[in-house]
Amino acid sequence: MLIQLSGIERTYTVGTEKVHALRGVDLSIDAGEWVAIIGQSGSGKSTLMNVIGCLDTPTRGTYFLNGKDVARMDDDSLADVRNREIGFVFQNFQLLPRETALANVELPLVYRGVKAAVRHARAQEALVKVGLADRVHHRPNELSGGQRQRVAIARALAGEPSLLLADEPTGNLDSATGEEIIKLFTQLHEQGHTIVLVTHEPKLAARCPRAVRLSDGLVVADGPGKEVALISVAA
Amino acid sequence: MNARIDILEGSRIALKSLRAHRLRTLLTTVGIGIGVATLLAILGITQGLDTSFAKQLESLGSSTLYIQKSPWVQMGNWWEFRNRKDLTWAHAEGVRRLSTYATAVAPMVSRNEEVKFHDLSMAAVEISGTTSDYLQVTGFEITRGRFFGESDDDSRSTVAVLGMDVVDTLFPHSDPIGAPIRIGDRVYTVVGTLSRKGKILDESQDEIVLIPFHTHQSQFGAQRSIAIGVSVATPDALDAAEDQLVGIMRRLRQTPPDKPDDFAINRPEQLASTYNQLTGALFGVAVGIGFITLLVGGIGIMNIMLVSVRERTREIGVRRALGARKRTIVVQFVLEAMTVSAVGGALGTALGLGGAKLVSLVTPLAATVKPGTVFFGVGFAALVGLVFGIWPAFRAAQLDPVEALRHE
Repeated sequence: MLIQLSGIERTYTVGTEKVHALRGVDLSIDAGEWVAIIGQSGSGKSTLMNVIGCLDTPTRGTYFLNGKDVARMDDDSLADVRNREIGFVFQNFQLLPRETALANVELPLVYRGVKAAVRHARAQEALVKVGLADRVHHRPNELSGGQRQRVAIARALAGEPSLLLADEPTGNLDSATGEEIIKLFTQLHEQGHTIVLVTHEPKLAARCPRAVRLSDGLVVADGPGKEVALISVAA
Repeated sequence: MNARIDILEGSRIALKSLRAHRLRTLLTTVGIGIGVATLLAILGITQGLDTSFAKQLESLGSSTLYIQKSPWVQMGNWWEFRNRKDLTWAHAEGVRRLSTYATAVAPMVSRNEEVKFHDLSMAAVEISGTTSDYLQVTGFEITRGRFFGESDDDSRSTVAVLGMDVVDTLFPHSDPIGAPIRIGDRVYTVVGTLSRKGKILDESQDEIVLIPFHTHQSQFGAQRSIAIGVSVATPDALDAAEDQLVGIMRRLRQTPPDKPDDFAINRPEQLASTYNQLTGALFGVAVGIGFITLLVGGIGIMNIMLVSVRERTREIGVRRALGARKRTIVVQFVLEAMTVSAVGGALGTALGLGGAKLVSLVTPLAATVKPGTVFFGVGFAALVGLVFGIWPAFRAAQLDPVEALRHE
């Protein structure tokens, strides 16, 4: 079991009001799975993604990632877990604008303390893997949206994390480019990567072998992507 | 993750960011640069003043005492000093006879007179009547000719020894030795010239003519208090010599035991402490102004760093998501602040050194800057960057990664 969430609650205090974003989520994901987390805005899916990505810690509940109890870790340890275990892919790419594609991809390795020569080689390799061998020294503003997202995926892969965590990865792309990105995820899944994909699009969730539907801070459906996505259409 | 990586990566990011914002960097740099320049120029001038003053005091003689009617630094009733009994030749003779510490005792009496040679003249030259001990007491040397001796004094000879400023003015092209010069209504024969001493507190020591003591009295009258210059073997003997001189003078002047000294024993080093008292406060204020300028520069750094942190909120979020610890973010921004400051410090150092040089060229102050001051300038600026960069850096590190990633 790669991810084991049980009884996860997350409460925010906004002013004097308490907002229950997650109200007791139980979820297990095995290594090698490709799981979509689907839900409408306000369903708690972003909060869940942040908790899974160790960017946020739950108010209550336990979270084991790759055997480590990450729910109670301090800030430094969480930073290290993010660095080693998780590869983020964001909706708006989140590349550093002044750095080349190569430097962007190297970043997680920099924070891991990998030597420059090894770093270059591994970043290069990751860029080749996403089909950007000829764009290594380009800066983000010299790349198309699809290419930028490929750089971001290469960056997520470079650290060889146990989990790829993608947040609406096709949200800022046209449908053709989005399709290419989904194909890339499909390939990565076939190569054995574990992928958690957060989306509000049922069509995208339907492409995933498994989908989890969140509503009002609770898991309301968990099953094959096609079925869970259909339920959403019915609802 | 270790500190080495934090610093390496931090420096790389810092340089990149500074290059990306050239104008902003330059303006911030100027602020800190002006602060460092001000501080360095002030320090340079201070150091220069101190060294030149110390040198000047040395030329007064480091093992010399002057017995006079009133102290150089007068604290108290001026009238009381004025009404004291005059010091006379007899006192000088008494000191010479009784003091076991004195190696030379020179009575000195002075007034200002015009000195002429043919159609050249020099106004208000110090005419000093003294004896041959004068040389040892004051540290002057005879560079040409001879000094006058006891026989010259006994016979009230009209012979003169000239300071170099007088030589320069009256004898620009001719040899002074043997020349007749006119002082007041008498003609003197030049028998020697003195070595050049330079200035003390912007006052030339070489605008002087020496004549035998009694010649001076016979021409200008004996109704003037004299000064008695006493030199001792080593500076260490000054305190003991002073004690002894006080005793001798009180005896010679028959000062009643219940009355305070009616004379003063002056030492050049007293001038030093007075000088320090007078200038210390002034330099304090000047250095304070320098620090305030630096403070303003530092606030500029803090401001720009806060802007930088705000602008790069998303970048901070990305770095945190990819595994940067808080400490890494702190180091990154502190290094950025320190780099800007250090560049400013380098500029300011160049400017400050230039300023000090300029001051030494256009004013009589000899502004000197020690080589170590340069490192001080750059290092101090970097420290300012550290101090004023640390708060913005901590703010950057405290950002919630989730919020930071969402920042527009």
